[in-house]
Amino acid sequence: MVDTDRPWQAYYGANIRPVLDQATYRNIPDMIHSVAETYGKAKAFTCVLPNGMNGTLTFKQIDEMSDAMAVYLREIAGLNVGDRVAVQLPNCLGFPIAAFGILKAGCVLVNVNPMYTSEEMAKQFEDAEPHVLITIDMFADKVVEATRGHPIPNVIVTRVAEFFPAMPRGIVGLVQKYWDKVLKPIEVPHIRLPAALNAGREHIKNDRIEAEKYSQEVTLDDIAVLQYTGGTTGVAKGAMLTHGNLIMNMEQAMELLAGDMQKGEEVILTALPLYHIFAFTVNMLSFYWLGARNILIPNPRPLSNLKRAFENYKITWMSGVNTLFNGLNNEIWFRHSPPKHMKFAGAGGMALQAAVAERWREVAGCDVLQGYGLTETSPVLTFEPLGKAREGTIGIPVPSTEVACFDEHGQKLGIGEVGEIAARGPQIMKGYWKKPEETDNVMIDDWFLTGDIGVMDEDGYFRIVDRKKDMVVVSGFNVYPNDVEDVIATHPGVLEVAVIGVPDNSSGEAVKAFIVLSDKTLKQDDIRSFCKDHLTSYKVPKRVVFRDELPKSNVGKILRKDLRAEEMAQMAAE
Amino acid sequence: MVDEFTQTLLGIMVAVIMLGMGASLTPRDFYLALRRPYGLFIGVVSQYGIMPFLGFLLALFLVVPETIALGILLMACMPGGTTSNIFTYFSKGNLALSVLMTVTSTVSGVVLIPLILTIYAAALDIEIPREDIVKVLFVLLVPVAIGMSVRRLNANVGATIEFFGSILGVLFIVFIAVTWIPQNWQFLLNTTSATYTAAIGLGLVGITIGYFFAKSLRLHPRNARTVALETGIQNGPLAIAIIVFTFPPEQQQAIMAVPALYSLFIVIVSTCVTFVFRRANTAAEQKMPDSLL
Repeated sequence: MVDTDRPWQAYYGANIRPVLDQATYRNIPDMIHSVAETYGKAKAFTCVLPNGMNGTLTFKQIDEMSDAMAVYLREIAGLNVGDRVAVQLPNCLGFPIAAFGILKAGCVLVNVNPMYTSEEMAKQFEDAEPHVLITIDMFADKVVEATRGHPIPNVIVTRVAEFFPAMPRGIVGLVQKYWDKVLKPIEVPHIRLPAALNAGREHIKNDRIEAEKYSQEVTLDDIAVLQYTGGTTGVAKGAMLTHGNLIMNMEQAMELLAGDMQKGEEVILTALPLYHIFAFTVNMLSFYWLGARNILIPNPRPLSNLKRAFENYKITWMSGVNTLFNGLNNEIWFRHSPPKHMKFAGAGGMALQAAVAERWREVAGCDVLQGYGLTETSPVLTFEPLGKAREGTIGIPVPSTEVACFDEHGQKLGIGEVGEIAARGPQIMKGYWKKPEETDNVMIDDWFLTGDIGVMDEDGYFRIVDRKKDMVVVSGFNVYPNDVEDVIATHPGVLEVAVIGVPDNSSGEAVKAFIVLSDKTLKQDDIRSFCKDHLTSYKVPKRVVFRDELPKSNVGKILRKDLRAEEMAQMAAE
Repeated sequence: MVDEFTQTLLGIMVAVIMLGMGASLTPRDFYLALRRPYGLFIGVVSQYGIMPFLGFLLALFLVVPETIALGILLMACMPGGTTSNIFTYFSKGNLALSVLMTVTSTVSGVVLIPLILTIYAAALDIEIPREDIVKVLFVLLVPVAIGMSVRRLNANVGATIEFFGSILGVLFIVFIAVTWIPQNWQFLLNTTSATYTAAIGLGLVGITIGYFFAKSLRLHPRNARTVALETGIQNGPLAIAIIVFTFPPEQQQAIMAVPALYSLFIVIVSTCVTFVFRRANTAAEQKMPDSLL
């Protein structure tokens, strides 16, 4: 029976239920614990370095260690339910321990991009006000500067080879310290992660504390994660994702894979960063729930860093963004020996180019299916059903989710009518942290407005035609022109600046800056290196052009849309 | 001259280096090398086409005794060394390609080295103990096989062996410098400049020709730089092991001259080349920034 409001349901596979039951767990800690009970000594997370050195933790170990983490946070760091804990880690074994421990303590996890500059970190810390920061030795030198505005009393430091066997751990440490010279002295008082866990274990043993009691008071409606995003307006804000949001989105994502993925048998590759919502929900939560072994790659660049992981493990599923798939398609070693056991791959974060998907099919011999969503939606909203993907679309809504296009008056539009894509479902965030007016801007009743302009066809497939906001998506990372313009404008030799996104073959979109100089001797590279000092690398303009003037409206506002139109016309001409 | 202790130590070091090389491999690498003839083609042409011919020309035109000529030829016929992978890493080349080429040339070396040695030795009218060389090559494949199985059983142990193997590759050169040179000081003083020309020229000219060979195949600059290093950098320890284990002691000193000197000079040559390549790489990066992931 097909719902006329939800024509897409006809395209669900036989294994997919159109509507999911209420969450089957009380909260995320409940899920973590009961999954660990089921899979016990099976391998849960393996962190693999470029040379093949690795460390593995089982489900049971993850459960035990995250318990100790939770006890440390509550009993020693003195946190309460709802207190924020910032996690600034690349993919490593410490990540799931930290994330699960925070949630078990009833605290709120704040994901921070480890590549952030201290200025960017400071902004996020001032807003989220975390009490504890869990970071990695490689980036800990930025903490002093970043915590000037909002001091963080407790800093826990881990390292990339943490929980590896002693020999490889020692070698990695020595190489990082004396060879790569990436370990700088850590100037803030801190405790090492294993020491923090031991302190937690002591409390468990001596005071007979059970970590389970902390999460007893946590409901599905409580905030689990503050996930920062510029949203539709570019003002950095934390999307409040609840335990219910994440559990439901996890179940929605796994419902799509039902029948194709076997519980307790999969080996998945996580090359995308876990601090990004896509890998956080889909790779970490969902596949943990499925009992899969998760291969964590701390740094996928250069892509040859993935070679040993592909050689040493029988990867059955991986997630990626267009840039990653495109990159792998072009790696000699990958083309020569594509993973034999992979069932299919999942793409998100940015539009997957048809040519890349097609080439992936040839090279890897399996499909790559894309999903669409936003930080605010935990993130998955739509997906391409296996075997029924349609070129140029973002697929159909996931179970228990309604997607529709709205006109500017907030009225729902029909088939074929272009409007702003909106969604409602159990995965829609609770709102923006401490920014109710921003929340009001994006919600119409229980519908969330995505800021993407799209259209639905008669079968319920959605297509994105434009973006309402000026945001640029570089390989799945949001870049707000304002942020970049603000930095460039502070350069003494710059008179005016406008930043837009332009189509780019490798990263989907690239940041392009148009600059009017007051100091004519400046070169493109001067601007780029200036940006590098103040911005994360993905925000640094890939292209810089100098102009004599910029297009402006009659009130003097710089018109980014004119620059974009100019750029498009030029591309069309080529 | 090499005393018995040094000889044993050399043998152990080469075995560990080969063990490390084995740990960097999977059976799939062999299968692929055979299935994808393009990589095999580049590796084989550069290692067993360009280099031996260069060695042959050096041996032919430089005025050297027969034993030195044999050393030049032997050195020229060796497969790529693991040190090439280290230099490729530092010059920001394509590490995967470098490893693939080292592997391809090492494995195909069992057949090709004796074959090519025989041809050129005949052309130069030099006698070589062909069967013994084949034997040593086979024996050295044993640690390679062990390394491979260790990695399969435990990736951590494999990676650790690989790590120590490549460190030993560098230590080997230091070892040669501190043991062989003092012991053969007088010999080195008396030897002609032609020997030095051959020892330095083999690496330097090899890298240069390798670069232009790769360029002629229209390889990406990064890959061209990788092929260049791979071509010029030979497996010095293997050559020395072959000499120690196949030639009578009284001949060893002279035959080993070029391989030992080559092993020392290639470090200097490769370091200079690495600096040039790094600069080229930086220049290219500024023109076309690598896309973000």
